[in-house]
Amino acid sequence: MLCELCGKHQATTYSKTIINGEYTEMYLCSECAKAKGIGINNIFSQTATDFSSFLGSFFGGGLPSRTSATRCKSCGSAFTDIARSGKVGCAECYSNFYEELLPSIQKIHGNIQHRGKIPTGASAEVKRKRDIEKTKRELEQAVKEENFELAVKLRDKIKEMEGGGNHDSN
Amino acid sequence: MTATEKWYEKSGEQGDVVISSRIRLARNLKNYPFPHLLSVQQKTEIAMKVKEALEQSNSYIAKEFQFISMSELSAAQTGSLMERHIISPEFANDRKGKYLLLTKDETVSIMINEEDHLRIQVLTEGLSLEKAYETADKIDTLLDNALGFAFHDKLGYLTQCPTNIGTGLRASVMLHLPSLQSSKVVERLKDNLSKIGLTLRGTFGEGTQALGGMYQLSNQVTLGISEETAIENLKSVAMQIIENERSVRSQFCKRTETQDYIMRCLGTLKYAVLMSNQESMKLLSAVRMGINEKLIEEDIAKVTKLMIILQPYTLIKNAEKELSPTQRDLLRAEMLKEALNQ
Repeated sequence: MLCELCGKHQATTYSKTIINGEYTEMYLCSECAKAKGIGINNIFSQTATDFSSFLGSFFGGGLPSRTSATRCKSCGSAFTDIARSGKVGCAECYSNFYEELLPSIQKIHGNIQHRGKIPTGASAEVKRKRDIEKTKRELEQAVKEENFELAVKLRDKIKEMEGGGNHDSN
Repeated sequence: MTATEKWYEKSGEQGDVVISSRIRLARNLKNYPFPHLLSVQQKTEIAMKVKEALEQSNSYIAKEFQFISMSELSAAQTGSLMERHIISPEFANDRKGKYLLLTKDETVSIMINEEDHLRIQVLTEGLSLEKAYETADKIDTLLDNALGFAFHDKLGYLTQCPTNIGTGLRASVMLHLPSLQSSKVVERLKDNLSKIGLTLRGTFGEGTQALGGMYQLSNQVTLGISEETAIENLKSVAMQIIENERSVRSQFCKRTETQDYIMRCLGTLKYAVLMSNQESMKLLSAVRMGINEKLIEEDIAKVTKLMIILQPYTLIKNAEKELSPTQRDLLRAEMLKEALNQ
C-alpha cells in the first residue's frame, strides 16, 4: 500500500499515536516516517531475524584472533566483514569460516547437521551416511512397535551398509 | 481461460481460511560469490545460465516460463508483482541485474539475484503445501543437474544468510484470520509460535501489516529438519489455527452486532463512490467472513480476487495508465460495484 501522507511511495512503517486522548494510526513510507521522526528504529528493534546485529552481538568484543587477518580464498571476505554485514560472502566462506560460523548457526537453528534433500551431484559418501541414518531410524521405530522380524532385517541391512562403506574407502 | 487461471482466482482446500500456500527454495550457484558481491555483468551472466538451463531441459514446465528483466519493468508492473506475491518487497528495490522467470499461470516464479542467486517459488491456492513442494522440488532438481548448486555435507544448501542454510526451504500459508485478529488472539499466538520455530507475519512478510486480516504463517528453522517434516509441522499448526479461527468466527457471527457490521460493510462496498485500498481490504475481509458464515451469498474466490486486483499498483497496471490516488479510489469503487451488484 502507499504512504498515507505523500501517497507516492510504498508504506513501510505503521505508526500508532495517542495525542490528548485522540487515537490515530497511519501507514507511512520511510521518507515521511523519517520526517516525522518515527519508524526506522522501531522496525528494526522488532525484527528478531536481523542477522547483522545478531552476529555482531554474538561475537561481541572478542572475535577469534585468527579471523581478523584471514580472508576467504574464494571471494576475499574477512570474517569481520561477514560479522559486520551479516552477509556471508560466498559458498566457500562456510568452509573457510566454519568454526567461527558454527556457534551462530547452532543458535539460529538449534542444530548443525543438514537432514534434508541432497543434490544428485553430492558425493556417494554423503548419501550412504544418510541412508544408514534413515535405516537406523526405521530400526528404532520397528523396535518400538515390537516388530522384531523387521528389526532383525534392518539391523543386518545397517551392518551391510556400514561394512560396504569401509570396503569402499579402503 | 482455465489454462491461465491464477491462484487467486480459485478457492482451494480449507479455502475459508487458507488463501494460498507457498514454497520457496533458496539456491546458489557454486562458482560465484553471493549476489551482494556481484557486478551487474556477473548477475546477468548467471541469469542467462539459468534461462538456458531451463530452455535446454526437456521438461514440459520449461516452456511455460517467460523471462523478465526487472529493470525493464515500470514501477506499477513491479509493484503489482509484489502485490500478487510473485516477488518479494526486497526484489522490487534496485532492480538492476535482477531477473524473473515466471510461468503464465503465475504459479511458479524464479527470482534471480535476490538475496540468493535463485529463489524458486511455487504459489498455489488453498492448503496445498505438498503439491507446491513437489513442483518446486522438480524444478530444483532440474536446475541443479544443469547448474550445480552450492552444497555442504553438514550445512546443506548454502545461502547468503545463515538463517536459510540447510534445506533453504521457506514454506508458508496465507491465512485469513479476521476473528483472531479482532479478538487480539494473534499477538499471543505469535509468541507461542516462535517457540516452536514458526512465525506469523503481516501480509507481505517481515515488518508489514496484516491488511484485511491476512497473515503469513511460515517455518523459521531450515537446518536439521527435512523438507517433509518442516511441511508436516507447518501444516499441523496451520490446521490448529484454522480450527480456532473457525470456532471464534462462528461465535462472533452469531451476534447481531457482528451481523450488522458485516452487512454494513457489504453495503459500503456496493454503493460507495470513493474507496481507498485500506478501506476496501478491511470491508472485503468482513464480507469474506460473512460469506463463510453463510450470512452473505457470494463467491468466495471472487472476493479473494478483488483483494488482490484492487491493490494500488495492480490497479494501475491493469488500467494501463497513470492514475492519481483519487482516480484509483474512484475506479476501485466502480469495480467493486460492478463485481458485487451482479
